[in-house]
Amino acid sequence: MNTSVGTVKRGTFWHRVKQQKVLILMTIPFLAHVIIFRYVPIWGWLMAFQNYWPGKSIFQQTWVGFENFRLLFNDPVFYQVLRNTLAMSIIKLVFGTVSSIILALMLTEVRRIRFKKVVQTISYLPHFISWVVAANLVRDALSTDGGIVNEVLMKLRIIKEPIMFLGIPALFWWIIGASHVWKEVGWGAIIYLAAIAGIDPTLYESAMIDGAGRLKQIWYITLPSIRPTISVLLIMNLGWVLSSGFEQQYLLQNGRVIDYARVFTIYELDYGIKMMRYSFATAVGIFRSVVSIILVFSANQLAKRWGQERLV
Amino acid sequence: MKRRFWLLSLLLIIALAGTAFAEVKTFTVFTGEPLPDYPGSTIVGDIIEAETGVKLIWEPLVGDLETKVGLMIASGDYPDLVVAAHFTSLLKDAGALLPLNDLIEEHAPNLKRLYANHWEMLTQEDGNVYWLPIQAIPYGPDTSRYPSLGFFINKRVLKEAGWPTIKTLDEYFQLIEDYMAKHPTIDGEPTIGYLTLFDGWRSFATTNVPQHLMGYPNEGEFVPVMQGNRYVVTEYHTSPTAKQYYKKLNDMYNKGVVDKETFIMNYDQYIEKLSSGRVLGTFNQFWQIQEAQNYLLRDNPESIFVPLPIVIDPLVEERQRDIPYVQPTQGMGISIKCKDPVGAIKFLDYLIKEDTQRLLQWGIQGVHYEVDENGLYYRTPEQLELFRDPDWVQNVFGRPYFFNAFPSLRGLDENGNMFFPDTQPHLIYSDSTDSEKEVMDAYGVKSFSDLFNEPIFKKYFPLWTITMPAGSPAHIEETRMKDVLHRYVPELVMSSPDQFERIWENYVRDIKPLMVEQMKVYQEGIDWRMENW
Repeated sequence: MNTSVGTVKRGTFWHRVKQQKVLILMTIPFLAHVIIFRYVPIWGWLMAFQNYWPGKSIFQQTWVGFENFRLLFNDPVFYQVLRNTLAMSIIKLVFGTVSSIILALMLTEVRRIRFKKVVQTISYLPHFISWVVAANLVRDALSTDGGIVNEVLMKLRIIKEPIMFLGIPALFWWIIGASHVWKEVGWGAIIYLAAIAGIDPTLYESAMIDGAGRLKQIWYITLPSIRPTISVLLIMNLGWVLSSGFEQQYLLQNGRVIDYARVFTIYELDYGIKMMRYSFATAVGIFRSVVSIILVFSANQLAKRWGQERLV
Repeated sequence: MKRRFWLLSLLLIIALAGTAFAEVKTFTVFTGEPLPDYPGSTIVGDIIEAETGVKLIWEPLVGDLETKVGLMIASGDYPDLVVAAHFTSLLKDAGALLPLNDLIEEHAPNLKRLYANHWEMLTQEDGNVYWLPIQAIPYGPDTSRYPSLGFFINKRVLKEAGWPTIKTLDEYFQLIEDYMAKHPTIDGEPTIGYLTLFDGWRSFATTNVPQHLMGYPNEGEFVPVMQGNRYVVTEYHTSPTAKQYYKKLNDMYNKGVVDKETFIMNYDQYIEKLSSGRVLGTFNQFWQIQEAQNYLLRDNPESIFVPLPIVIDPLVEERQRDIPYVQPTQGMGISIKCKDPVGAIKFLDYLIKEDTQRLLQWGIQGVHYEVDENGLYYRTPEQLELFRDPDWVQNVFGRPYFFNAFPSLRGLDENGNMFFPDTQPHLIYSDSTDSEKEVMDAYGVKSFSDLFNEPIFKKYFPLWTITMPAGSPAHIEETRMKDVLHRYVPELVMSSPDQFERIWENYVRDIKPLMVEQMKVYQEGIDWRMENW
């Protein structure tokens, strides 16, 4: 009996494989890509447990156990970095998501197609500029020596003297948040626009018949309909909370705000790679990866409990 | 038939091209500086290529040198010839450099001869030499028109004040303040009283100053002080002089003399502001402002910068000039990725010989310089004019591409001339621009270096060429200490005056514990040098 079940199962398995031959073949390159570029490098994690020195083979390295992690958790800078990374990530995540959704909602409400297209194009153009250029634009805009932000504020008589925005530590996180929103709002809105376009128009018709105005339609039809998209994107983005970018902070920082500007990637560079402490840098990387995985899975569980759309 | 003909001729072309290229060797070179792309053909470049059959491919530095070197080591991807400035020892520790001893012994008689004076300094603990520093001094030292560092002041200020002789920091700022009060704008743009450079690793231009105010030349982060008969490594970052200096900057910042943006501008912005001629004062090492000075000399000669020997107190003995020395801890090495190390060392051997160095510095005799009846070289006014134009020197003459980071010679040459035209003793004064001469005449000197006292010879000099072992506790401490400086110095200067004391106390509390390990390493290094050099 058992064997016959087995053969039947096996039969159906191979049968299925045969049926989906083309599809499977099509996925192979992507699978290979993931394995080669995402899984094979995990071997490098071994470095975190060594006192790695370049140019030596794995057998010649000295093994130090958890020493690098001990150093990491005993480093006061680490906690500062953790705070900055989380703060900036959350600011970027919250404001990035909210602004993108609002822009998407506003764009769908615009009836003039040409205006809508122009606004959309302009809003996502900054996404294609590299941070190297964008950071200089931000620096220029915020400069005290004729920067547009200070000029406008002074013309409006809101301030008397130019403010050195980039030199105020408490402002740094918000400058990062604001420049992120400026750069990514249009790009982020695209996916919500697509989700909104997929909503059944009859829902709006019936809502209209029931007497719902525009705002009520947005609140009761549009937002609930794109809720799955929002939650999936949020869960996915939570995986990046401990990354929070590199170029943006690196290029906008200066000595004055260093306590608020240093994020994990910069920390890995300054205290790891630049000092040839590759093992230490790897340990930091492992910490980030592990926390990210935990965050994504717990967010996923929460979404499940609340009956929301989930990732896994 | 026709097709076969085409095929044949194509093959022929390929074969010909192949032989033509085979004669030219190429080496990739990373010089650690952001040089623009090589113009393709320059006066010295073409001669060098014709004589050696070597074509160089420059890899420019983009961004931060430290990062670039770190990533180079992590990837193991090295150019054939590599210069990593103050990170050179990292390359050696990573096993990226070939030992040069045998190569030089067998293939490079000129290098052997001209670097002989410095061989002990260059020999590492394992008995090998891995890199060749710039500016070896084979025949004797030179003097120069400009000292290596100083508090620079705009010529306008001195001229208007009637060429005063000033000694202290207070007098220096008083002069600037007075001028600024009278001239709030220069050429229609707001006057900038004082600029201090604080961009990344270059921020030593701000944080090194206390040692100079105490009269020392550039030693680095610590100064060896003679106690009994031993040099004892001493810190100055929390000294009373440092406190007075930051307090002064704080006052000046709050009075609007120090530029508001000074702590958030980068090096390019700094040079741009200096070149505009509306900056009245800045402290720096001369090489960091030289680019701006060259532009001022050409376009705005009334606003050139004049270096002054400024100390904190008139009683301090000023010895800020340094004796010409070779930096033994950095230089050009041949990487393990180089396929033809013999060819590479032969190329460097060609570059270092006196004739090539003369070509790079003086040019071609009869075209770029002349020889007088005593055998001394000089330049005609037209020739001088050419070499004063930095664009011409770089893009037409081509010197930086074969000189800046390569093994090179300075000081006296074998026949009594100087390798560097601007240090030719009988020419330092006569080859100066009219604007420079005016200042020298006013102070009765023949070079700006003469405004400073004679340097004192110290065998170990300087301290900063001792480097921390990579990744060691002292190295980590150094990074942390620089973090503290980066954090506190802008705060000290930019805070309101009543906050200063409190910030200073916090600064001292935070920085003090971050010097212990470094001082141990430096002390060992100094002791070793005093014994072995």
